[in-house]
Amino acid sequence: MSDYVERFRTSERILHWVVTCSFFTLLLTGLGLFSKLFHGYFGLFGGGQNAIMIHKISGVIFFFSSLYMFFNHKKDVSSFDDGDWVWIRKYGGYLTRYGNHFDIGKYNPGQKMFAVFIAAATVALGVTGLFIWFPAFFPRWIVQLSLLFHSLMFIGSIMFVVVHVYLATIGNPGTIEAMLYGDVRKLWARKHHPKWYKEMTGENR
Amino acid sequence: MSETINQAARKGFLVDTSRCIGCRSCQVACKQWNKLEADKTSNKGTFENPRDLTPALYNRIKFIEKDTAGEVTWRFFNERCMHCGDAGCMKVCPSPGALFRTKDGIVGFNKEKCISCKYCVSACPFNIPRYGSDDKVSKCNLCLDRIAGGLTPACAKACPTEALKYGMRNDIISKAKGAKKTIYGEDALNGLGVAYALEGPPEQYGLPANPSIPMSIFLWKDVIKPLGILGFWGSIGAMLLHYVTIGPKKVDDDLNVKENGHE
Amino acid sequence: MTNHWIDFKNSDVILIMGANPAENHPVSFRWIMKAKDAGAKVICVDPRFTRSAAKSDLYAPLRSGTDIAFLGGLINYILQNKLYFEQYVRDYTNSAYLVSGDFKLPGEMAGLFSGYDPKKRSYDTKSWSFQKNADDSVKKDPTLQDPNCVFQLLKKHYGRYTPELVSRTTGTPKEKLLEVYKLYASTGKPDRAGTSLYAMGWTQHTVGTQNIRAMSIVQLLLGNMGVAGGGINALRGESNVQGSTDQGLLFHILPGYLPVPSAELKDLAAYNEKYTPKSKDPQSANWWQNRPKYITSYLKAIYGAKATKENDFGYAWLPKLDPGMNASWLMIFDNMIKGKLKGFFAWGQNPACSGSNSNKVRNALAKLEWMVTANLFDNETASFWKGPGMDPAKIKTEVFFLPAAASFEKEGSLSNSGRWAQWRYAAVKPLGQSKPDAEIIHELFQKIKALYTKNGGALPEQLTNLTWNYGFKRADGTIKSVDIHAVAKEINGYFLDDVEDKPKPGAPPPKPVPGAVPGARKLLGKKGELAAGFAQLQADGSTSCGNWIYCQSYNEKGNMMARRGKKDPTGLGLFPEWSWAWPVNRRIIYNRASCDPAGKPYNLKKAVVYWNPNTVLPTGALGAWVGDVPDGPWPPMSNEKEGKKPFIMRADGVAAIFGPGLKDGPFPEHYEPVECPLPENLFSKQMNNPASKIFKDAGIKEDVLASNDPRFPLVATTYRVTEHWQTGVMTRNTPWLLELQPRQFCEISIELAKEKSISNGDIIEISSARGKIDAVAMVTPRIKPFQVGGKTVHQIGLPWCFGWHTPGVGDAANLLTPTAGDANTMIPETKAFMVGIARKG
Repeated sequence: MSDYVERFRTSERILHWVVTCSFFTLLLTGLGLFSKLFHGYFGLFGGGQNAIMIHKISGVIFFFSSLYMFFNHKKDVSSFDDGDWVWIRKYGGYLTRYGNHFDIGKYNPGQKMFAVFIAAATVALGVTGLFIWFPAFFPRWIVQLSLLFHSLMFIGSIMFVVVHVYLATIGNPGTIEAMLYGDVRKLWARKHHPKWYKEMTGENR
Repeated sequence: MSETINQAARKGFLVDTSRCIGCRSCQVACKQWNKLEADKTSNKGTFENPRDLTPALYNRIKFIEKDTAGEVTWRFFNERCMHCGDAGCMKVCPSPGALFRTKDGIVGFNKEKCISCKYCVSACPFNIPRYGSDDKVSKCNLCLDRIAGGLTPACAKACPTEALKYGMRNDIISKAKGAKKTIYGEDALNGLGVAYALEGPPEQYGLPANPSIPMSIFLWKDVIKPLGILGFWGSIGAMLLHYVTIGPKKVDDDLNVKENGHE
Repeated sequence: MTNHWIDFKNSDVILIMGANPAENHPVSFRWIMKAKDAGAKVICVDPRFTRSAAKSDLYAPLRSGTDIAFLGGLINYILQNKLYFEQYVRDYTNSAYLVSGDFKLPGEMAGLFSGYDPKKRSYDTKSWSFQKNADDSVKKDPTLQDPNCVFQLLKKHYGRYTPELVSRTTGTPKEKLLEVYKLYASTGKPDRAGTSLYAMGWTQHTVGTQNIRAMSIVQLLLGNMGVAGGGINALRGESNVQGSTDQGLLFHILPGYLPVPSAELKDLAAYNEKYTPKSKDPQSANWWQNRPKYITSYLKAIYGAKATKENDFGYAWLPKLDPGMNASWLMIFDNMIKGKLKGFFAWGQNPACSGSNSNKVRNALAKLEWMVTANLFDNETASFWKGPGMDPAKIKTEVFFLPAAASFEKEGSLSNSGRWAQWRYAAVKPLGQSKPDAEIIHELFQKIKALYTKNGGALPEQLTNLTWNYGFKRADGTIKSVDIHAVAKEINGYFLDDVEDKPKPGAPPPKPVPGAVPGARKLLGKKGELAAGFAQLQADGSTSCGNWIYCQSYNEKGNMMARRGKKDPTGLGLFPEWSWAWPVNRRIIYNRASCDPAGKPYNLKKAVVYWNPNTVLPTGALGAWVGDVPDGPWPPMSNEKEGKKPFIMRADGVAAIFGPGLKDGPFPEHYEPVECPLPENLFSKQMNNPASKIFKDAGIKEDVLASNDPRFPLVATTYRVTEHWQTGVMTRNTPWLLELQPRQFCEISIELAKEKSISNGDIIEISSARGKIDAVAMVTPRIKPFQVGGKTVHQIGLPWCFGWHTPGVGDAANLLTPTAGDANTMIPETKAFMVGIARKG
């Protein structure tokens, strides 16, 4: 018997990395637009005008892939059960290294919230991005608010992503394997997502 | 976080609407000097044409007619870039040099450096910058090439009645104040490079009574930007702190615990 | 203009009436603004609230074509309230003159002056003459009390122009009327000046001349003539229209306002006899007594050595009018449509748009064998044969188009409204094949002359004898290209012989100059020299001068017109060293009238000239005028022996409040335009100007009028806009300007729009008895309905700068205007006519 359980199918993983790539492209192309401080990042793309073009293209890719990803996982991320509430009350156990046992399904509440936030941010960034793309076709106040919310959502997203990356990599060793290979070690699954583990294997422990 | 500006060195306009006869020499002289194409227009029942600034129209006269109990007024207002001392367009422009301030205090633009983000369109308190088919910013630049050569801007040169008065900003404003004119834009936005002597409240001319950079632009540039940068590094810092203090959740943690008989 | 553009700044009250300087003379507003800065008040009287009205302190509306009623009311107001400048009126005008006892005013004659012949539609002016003493001098009453004196007649005549009646005719609210009267009449004080700015809004009426006469009377009553900030100032509609009239553009005048001879004046002596006024008054300079010098010098300029004393200086070759012939603009096209003209030069003009009753003009052009158009651009005239309603297959007119150079592509002088002849240089070379007009004329002349020389023809001498020394001559005698300086010099005039400086008859012999050879001839000028001024011109053929009023413009000191000196010694903005003004660089004409009879300025702060009795002249004589170039060097009129009266161009030396020289009356009287909204003239039974020509030829379908006609109930006027010039041939072809004003529009009141269910921006059709056009409705509070004769009368306004040749702009407003002309000048009445409007579609 294998030591591994499948967590993400290949198509899910590809989708995730598409979202990831477009997100970081957006980040790098958008930094220079966010503030003159980051003007240097335009150099990566051969100037601001190219950066804007790539930002727009990757924006469209991100918008659809991110939303698609959300709808793929919508069932798993859109409700909390009792175990989730315990997790929340104890801050996911991240304030101490030991002794945390939560009855968590495929995704913990943190992941669920992240997914929902990113979906919401995708919509917000996409819609405001569209207004910013064609400022002449919309009332000025809409575009002005869009610039504000675009930057706000960008900041929110990047902060969530920092946390997401940390927790998915060094913060929770073994997690990244799910996105790299599709499989996770049973031990990992049992530790982090016992309920899901049970569903997947029928094993209790 | 407004840029610093040498008020004493600023050149600019005083637009005295009481002297404007609506001849629109300014509109045409501007097109001539700046080599701007004519816009195709149609008459919609007013003398005012074009009805808005365009990428090929850096300044224009608004015709404002009013009938107050049989007494008719017809006012002429020169609309253009105000060359704000605290310029919203420059604040948001992500491309250094695309919008720039000259030593005379003029907000110039350089199409070669413009990256077509159009942020300036939204950030302008007066809705002035326009983008044409070249997708580059255009607006009045006070004929800074003429000024550099010691000439008067084309519009002011063509103005027959001195409604457009060009000179050292402090001088022309104090002169107008000496003549008991009410000045619009003396202090707003760190002083408008194009100040006005109006014959009525600014709203009658379609001007904001208290012009300011749009709140959303202020929040973005002056609040979200610094806080966001702080937040970004803060979140990275928090993660690092977590790693070195509490540490990662290793899969083996529980096993070790079990084996050590802690539970 | 009697004054000049910059002089507006010296005014205390500026009356803009019959003009719209903010729109049509924007630069003039620079000086109007300066006047306002100094506290002057600006009045604008116009049917529409224009851009000029927007900058005025006081605006009064009036119905188009009622200016005489308005001004007559002003005259009445001034007289009733004794606001006139009494000394000025008594000493400097003919107010004290006694008019013949047979003279009757319109108030007594149902709207006519005495002497009217309804069959001839003209006056026998015998009863308009002055009473004479035994010595042939005019009888006067300096107390101005005699009921037959001009002053009392004036009072009686304008006594009928009560504010109530004026208001009922003009539609101007009575309070506004009185406000204007009060403000303008305030300039009757000696130290205040009021100026009158007018343009085509006054001239283009069947009473055009009398409109201006009415204002002249106002200005004389208030003492506003000859002073800084005063005068009667025609704002010319073209940069050089003053120059073109100066140089004899009109059919009835030669250069320098010398009359075109009529065929009945067989020789020069007869011409001089008729046109040289005489005066026995020793105080009258009677400048026109010099006419023989000017006509002779003119003949010498055009016929050169061919003009000899023996052949009457070529007088016989001068083209002449048939007795009583009128060859004015309207008559050209009237004759053309009747097939009486074979060919036509449309030079720098666009009559198919600018001509009133343009359908008549366009149909007339189709009757020609050939037409030559010289212009910058193709236009409605050059292409009339393919215009709306034309069938090119049926039109036989052969059209030639000569591309002409624009003003900045050629060198030469322009004379502005203020009579300044300003020299300009070519900025760029003419485009393509286009040529300066002078070059085109030059080539035409050479070719036509060659043909006449070869083939002969009727009276070839008229042409072959003309001098033409305007440039470098090739070996074969032809001239390569026109040297415009040579033309300017010929206009200035030369000494053709050594001319001796003879003392004037009766003048004391000049003091011997120390060191001079006794008995040596003192020369006025040497043969070949340019004349220094018109005082040097001679009647014996020893001088030439193409235009006496321009004599001095290009003399031995150089090209005076090219001067650019910026000195302003008087501070009045006369700038005597900037360019050159005719006559003799005088910037304000009749300036001696700005001083009292002793030569002391009425307004010390703005003295144009003053008499300094202590100046020692080179001749040893005492006393001289200081300031502007005075109207002659003579002392002021208080000097009984040598003094002269100020109005030197008048035979009697005084200004004419009573003007018997006009065809339609010595005083202006209100008559309705030929098309008007009223069934009757509220002032008299005489509806229209009784002396204006009526075009009523049954054969010409375009000559129709529709007065007081329910189909055409709206008063219409035409005008120009800042953005276009004349018919728009130049400006419609300038995309930047078309951008500003892209299409024919029609200004209508909100009330009329409501009545006709028209919204702002709708396309409407405007029709008159003669034609119709489409326009965009501009519904505006700037036009208001008038209460006239007890009913509401609507007025509309149309610019006339558009034409079908530019796609999408609409056709000419002049398709609507009538063929009707002023009694004196035959200028067409395009500023008041009747139309109907309807929304299209």
